[in-house]
Amino acid sequence: MSDGKHKYVGQPVAREDALPKVTGRAMYVHDMHLAGMIHAATLKSPHAAARIKRIDTETARNLPGVRAVLVGEDLPYRLGLYVQDKLILARGQVRYQGEPVAAVAADTLETARAACELIRVEYEPVSPVLDPRNAIKPDAPLVHEDLHTYSYMKGVFAPKPHTNIAHHQKIRKGNVDDALAESDLVVNEHFYNPPAPHVPMETHAVIAQALPGDRMEVHTSAQSPYTVRDLLSHSLGLPQSNIRVHVPYIGGGFGGKAGIHLEPLACCLSRASGGRPVKIVATREEEFGTLPSRQGLHTEITLGVTKDGKIKAFKATYVWDAGAYADYGVNIGRAAAYAGAGPYCVPNCFIDSFVVYTNKVFGTAYRGFGHLEVLWGVERAIELAARRLGIDPYEFRMNNLLREGDKTITGETITAGHGRPDLCLQAVAEAIDWGTPSAPAEKGKARGKGIAVLHKAPAMPSYTSCSAIIKLNGDGSADILISGVDMGQGTYTTLRQIAADELRIEIDKVHITWECDTAFSPYDWQTVASRFAFMGGNATIAAAQDCLRQVRETAAIALRAAPEQIACENGEAYVESDPNRRLPYDRLALGYTFGNGNSIGGPIVGHGRYIAQGLTNLDPETGQGLPAQFWTYGAHGVEVEVDTETGEIEIVNIATALDAGKVLNPKLAREQVIGGVVQGIGSALFEGLIFNRDGHLQNGSFTDHKIPTAKDIPIHTRQIFVETPQPNGPYGARGMAEHPMISVPSAIANALVDAIGVDFHTLPLTAERVYTAIHTERTD
Amino acid sequence: MAKLHDIAVTVNGELETLSVPAGMTLLELLRDRLYLTGTKEGCGAGECGACTVILGDRPVNACLILAAETDGKEVRTVEGEASAASLSVLQQSFIDAGAIQCGFCTPGMIMSARALLARNPNPSDEEIKEAVAGNLCRCTGYEAIINAVRMAAKREAVTRQ
Amino acid sequence: MIGVFDYVRVGSVKEGCDLLAEHEGRARVFAGGTDLLVNIRNNGVSPDLLVDIKGIEPLGKLTVDAPDATIGACVPLNVIGENAAIAERCTALAQAALSVGSYQVRNRATLAGNVANASPAADTAPALLVLDAHVAVQGKAGGRDIPISELFLGVKKNSLAADEMITSIMLPSHAKHMRSAFIKKQRVRGHDLAVINMAGSLDQESGALRVAIGSCAVTPILLSIDSPIDCSAPIDELVARIDKIAQDAIRPIDDLRGSAAYRRGLIPVFLRRLLTMLVEREGGE
Repeated sequence: MSDGKHKYVGQPVAREDALPKVTGRAMYVHDMHLAGMIHAATLKSPHAAARIKRIDTETARNLPGVRAVLVGEDLPYRLGLYVQDKLILARGQVRYQGEPVAAVAADTLETARAACELIRVEYEPVSPVLDPRNAIKPDAPLVHEDLHTYSYMKGVFAPKPHTNIAHHQKIRKGNVDDALAESDLVVNEHFYNPPAPHVPMETHAVIAQALPGDRMEVHTSAQSPYTVRDLLSHSLGLPQSNIRVHVPYIGGGFGGKAGIHLEPLACCLSRASGGRPVKIVATREEEFGTLPSRQGLHTEITLGVTKDGKIKAFKATYVWDAGAYADYGVNIGRAAAYAGAGPYCVPNCFIDSFVVYTNKVFGTAYRGFGHLEVLWGVERAIELAARRLGIDPYEFRMNNLLREGDKTITGETITAGHGRPDLCLQAVAEAIDWGTPSAPAEKGKARGKGIAVLHKAPAMPSYTSCSAIIKLNGDGSADILISGVDMGQGTYTTLRQIAADELRIEIDKVHITWECDTAFSPYDWQTVASRFAFMGGNATIAAAQDCLRQVRETAAIALRAAPEQIACENGEAYVESDPNRRLPYDRLALGYTFGNGNSIGGPIVGHGRYIAQGLTNLDPETGQGLPAQFWTYGAHGVEVEVDTETGEIEIVNIATALDAGKVLNPKLAREQVIGGVVQGIGSALFEGLIFNRDGHLQNGSFTDHKIPTAKDIPIHTRQIFVETPQPNGPYGARGMAEHPMISVPSAIANALVDAIGVDFHTLPLTAERVYTAIHTERTD
Repeated sequence: MAKLHDIAVTVNGELETLSVPAGMTLLELLRDRLYLTGTKEGCGAGECGACTVILGDRPVNACLILAAETDGKEVRTVEGEASAASLSVLQQSFIDAGAIQCGFCTPGMIMSARALLARNPNPSDEEIKEAVAGNLCRCTGYEAIINAVRMAAKREAVTRQ
Repeated sequence: MIGVFDYVRVGSVKEGCDLLAEHEGRARVFAGGTDLLVNIRNNGVSPDLLVDIKGIEPLGKLTVDAPDATIGACVPLNVIGENAAIAERCTALAQAALSVGSYQVRNRATLAGNVANASPAADTAPALLVLDAHVAVQGKAGGRDIPISELFLGVKKNSLAADEMITSIMLPSHAKHMRSAFIKKQRVRGHDLAVINMAGSLDQESGALRVAIGSCAVTPILLSIDSPIDCSAPIDELVARIDKIAQDAIRPIDDLRGSAAYRRGLIPVFLRRLLTMLVEREGGE
């Protein structure tokens, strides 16, 4: 479908990166060899909690081919995005099974692994604390006894000394107790999401090299090159400009590669090996059990409603299972709190969101940043309330969704530019023919329909920014330099589209330098939070406009006109009132030369930037403030078929609507939604880490932890885009990367209520759980 | 020092003669010795399909094949899919159908699909799913990949006429 | 490197058995390798030597002529599952073979390997049990022929001596009135180990019924169904009768894929589905 105004924005332009990927030529860190490169392996703790009494590395060091052996005592560096609670290798104690305790760099991976086997560690196991609901109690054993000594991001987070509470976020709006007392129906329910792994197809990988002059050069499979640089600088005590970070193609991130993980260890091993490049590649088992996952969440919701279906009060306690380290977890606890009542108008709100340490693999950013977990409980509670009142769940939601003029639970006023959750819900309801019962299923099967809404704003600091550089080349083409990462979501393609439209040139002439390199690519905060297309788009527009300003400046002199009389179209600058006076960009891009040789202008390099506008920190007592650059609303409508004899669920149909504002590339947008929906189905039906009583991970492999395969996909999917323009978004776009996954489990569980009359409170909805529920209880 | 095995294996039509230790897998041979890094390691245990190559005429997980046993055999990898002149119809179909996001599963998917179309030029959607069910993807949700293979089958049928 | 071991490709069964004997349990037969290499990678086993038997031509043969169907030890599961005669005459085996792992795995994994691995969840085992299969075993000293049921001793324990290898698996000729089927419950529809698997065979003339269940005890279990069944009896009766036998025979545990209670609950469900397939097909001839 052609957009009258734009040639490329809004079009299904194909990816440039498809070619290297489909020919197997795209280089990921997994594929890279550097001259002199050696390999590293780690020794990991077998215990969930233990003191380290002694480590003997003598035999390991003497194994031929070993270049360096490191233990925690060798590395006095602290790490942590928000709370500096982590060390590069465990020192003095281990806090989760799978935590690295020692590392070896050697000529071959086999030698490194063999050397790890030769390291003797004497542990004194202690009783691990595994359930955050126990860990939060005042008498619980402490995962971090020295929490009070850690530095942390003040004004935003507040770890509670001498507890396991890494952060406590509060939302206080109105008077919840009075409102509950005045409610006609109070619903009080508990919900649970287990921790769950990201499962990128490319595991974490890094090659680090310590260079002379205390410099570090790092190639890493990471989402945020500048964050890697910044955190390495912080933890190793090096100036930022001493550290160079490259990010080539990466094989998926989903938040698991958002921060810093194996890089500090690789850097230290390189130093200890006399400056050899050191490559660390996580095995799939390490990806499951050593590298961080999605936090688990225990939810209690108390929802007060009137008998005609209006929400009066929303109270929630979210207890996040942060695992052994806070990482992004504290920010998830914060963000999920301010989003924690769903996209509804809630006049009275009381939320406590606790991020709690336990002795398990720690949590980090994961697509949705807490919103899938929170909306599991919220959308199930809403459903329960509606049904108990005897109100159609669709009508109930429509009656409460945020509309223009409403205030959110942090006091933000909804404007016309916010987006329309009601239109999203309406769209999916129509798509699944809500209101018409499912066609009768064959014997032994039951069908049902369910809906759920979603919302998310980018969870980002108030100073989040992005910058872009566009260089015009001597042939009239343009190169974009930017350090957000395209990990498959396709943002680079949309930025090329934007640049092509802004620069008025053919898209074939616009390239984006694929590899991010902090030496050349200008600063971008992180490729997370569904804000890269938004901020990168704005920065690219600004950079392109800066290029055109320079084009017009040079062209004006060359064409003997004033700059404001110069227009640009089809790769040419021309005098608007006399179009015969024109010059193609390639005569201007490197400066303009007159007939007699005089030259003016010079190489055209445009730069642009964008910084978050108007965001504020949240009040520590009430949570009031403006944390959201924009909100993206959405909804899913699902029809399921349940095999009532086995409990197996088939997704017959899932329709997803998102108000993504202007859809920059409909093909990429559809692909993003389908991928996120299937990942959501994974969370809904199959996924979750399982630990035994000793805190040992039981299912840390593909054999034991299943994700959807090509045979597990829905029979039908549909993607609908509501395009309410985002006023400050590039061409009116807002982010949509995480959203397709959020509320998928909620919608499926709501469909199960319709299909089999059972209310589920815990994920995943395995066939066994469905079977057991059908056969042991019925809730009508 | 472990004994080495001399092998002569044909990879994408090129005869390669090497000496390999018994414990080296075909995946390591391809990636570390022949620098054909298109074939990926996703798990090393035959569960994810990222390392799918065609051995003889059958798609297999290269991580569970010993290099030593490929003596006298033919291996095709993603690097052999395109001709010198152009992408294959299958590769172009993957691009056109939007079946590529992060790209890490793509080489394995291509090889599974290539082997499928060789044995079944007109596969049903169920047959396509069965052929690629052993290739895990986290990005695309598989729908576009199935569309790509269906598209390729149609296009290849047209070119055969 | 997936492990540290020597490798040899043998040209005859004798050569292979001699090597196995010589290494006194520290050598392993290597056919498909999809269990063996994974075990080596995960440090479950550390053999000194892998004896590659894929070069022994007779072991790669699948013959379905009367009287027996003979499946050589090196025949991949896809070849077995896609063989039209096997699919028609030993349906349970074809279905079971095609349920193991992924398509890529099945191009390497063998029937002999699947049973020699002796997992209680081995998918081909229930099929072989109900099809009355027997196994040709060769050792250094000589050969023997054992019913498939005698192969399974316990979890990942088979009855082969250190110098022995399976050379082929034979299925007695089945007349047209013999029907068999296989059913498997997985967590995902893609490749997965069984929560439970089950096979049945029914001689529609004599009413002789065999049912075998896997993943519910330390070995796959062939149920003792003595008297022939009445194919015209209501299916509920049949299910109830066989279910009782099954519930007494199995010893399921709770594991990652399912609880004992769930497994017990699935038994009658799958018995009904299996018996329906076996009984009703008579009409479709």
